[in-house]
Formats: sequence, structure tokens, C-alpha cells
Amino acid sequence: MIPFAAEVSFRNRHLWIPLAVLWIVLAALAVLALPLFLIGCLLLNVRPFHAIAVFWNILTSLNDTELSVDKPERSFSAHLY
Amino acid sequence: MNEDRRRILDLLAQGRVTADEAERLIAAIEKEPASASPNQGPEAPPKAKPKYLRVLVEQQDGAAADRPSLVNIRVPMQLLRAGVKLASFIPAQARAHVDGALRENGVPFDLSQIKPENLEEIVDQLDDLTVDVDQKNEKMKVKVFCE
Repeated sequence: MIPFAAEVSFRNRHLWIPLAVLWIVLAALAVLALPLFLIGCLLLNVRPFHAIAVFWNILTSLNDTELSVDKPERSFSAHLY
Repeated sequence: MNEDRRRILDLLAQGRVTADEAERLIAAIEKEPASASPNQGPEAPPKAKPKYLRVLVEQQDGAAADRPSLVNIRVPMQLLRAGVKLASFIPAQARAHVDGALRENGVPFDLSQIKPENLEEIVDQLDDLTVDVDQKNEKMKVKVFCE
């Protein structure tokens, strides 16, 4: 399942990002960019369905990714749900 | 198993092997996988497949030992597997360029050899890897392991 939310903390500021909204916007853009993507695949000799499958695989694997950096005045953390 | 051990001890008593050799032989017997002798002992439980790759960067000095890690990254293994598949999209020209640059820096590596099955081999070997890093009077410890 693709991540639907992200929790980002930066310098004691907590941000909760609803990624679902972002995916909806990106899906609309993806439809518009589809012809360009197909042309790119033809030029680079890449199978478009294989490319889409790999990118979808990456998207669905992002769930539960966690990153935190703890440095004075530069602490940052992100968690994808 | 006990019979083998007794035989080694007999050889030691007869002076045909040294104490060091006997110790090594006993250690080798103990290390024998359960699959090689299924009737001679309980089988080891199957190793659980790791779900995440964890990278921790910690300070090495004792005062900072109780502090949380400086960097803590948890990446799902599934993401690594999917990322490895991305390597197949690298154009041949770019791949040759990267391979050449790596070779120049003493890393003879072929990017075309990156395959998901190779990743599994690496993961199998990656029980707990620790790298000590010295940087500007700061001693860091980078730990990479699967969980």
C-alpha cells in the first residue's frame, strides 16, 4: 500500500502531511505527462509497463520508512505511514 | 556427535593431535549444520526474513553513549529490492561511465551485476556491520544491520 501520510519534524516543529492529497494531484499530472513519458520510453528503449511497475513497486514500498537526524539546531525526522 | 568428540579426545590422549588441533576439531563438529545430521539433534529454527535495513550513526565516546543516535534510518527491505530493479533502467552509456569512474577509484564493480538475488546474498551476510569513522576529532560509529 502506498503511504498516505507523513510525519515530519524539523527544529521542534511537527508537521503532519496528508500524502493522499498529494497522490491525487500527482495522479492528475501523471495522466497529463503520460504522452511525454511514452515518448521518453521509446527514445531510451525502455519498456513503459515495466518502468511503471518498478515505480509503483517503489511507491508501495515507501511505507514505514523512517529517517531521523539529531544534531543541535538541525534535528530532523520523517516517518511515512 | 558425542562419539566424534570422544574420538578426538582419544586422539588427544594418545598424543596424535595437539590440544589446539583437538579444540579446532571439536569446534568444527559443533558448527556442523543441522541439515547435515538431522537425526543427531534438534534443528535450528529458521532465520526470520528481515523487514528493515537500519543505519545508525552514534558517537563513540562514553559521555554520549546515553544520547540517542545522531542518525537513525530505517528503510524497508522491499524498498531496497525495488530500488535495485531501478538499476536496469540506467542507460548502457551511463553505466559504462559509472563503472569506469568506480574502477578509477579502486572499486572494480559492474553495475549490471546488481540484481535482486544479489541483494538477498548481501542481506544474508549483513547481520551486524559496524564501521568506525574518525572525523575532525569526533569518533563516530556507523552501524548497519537488518531487523
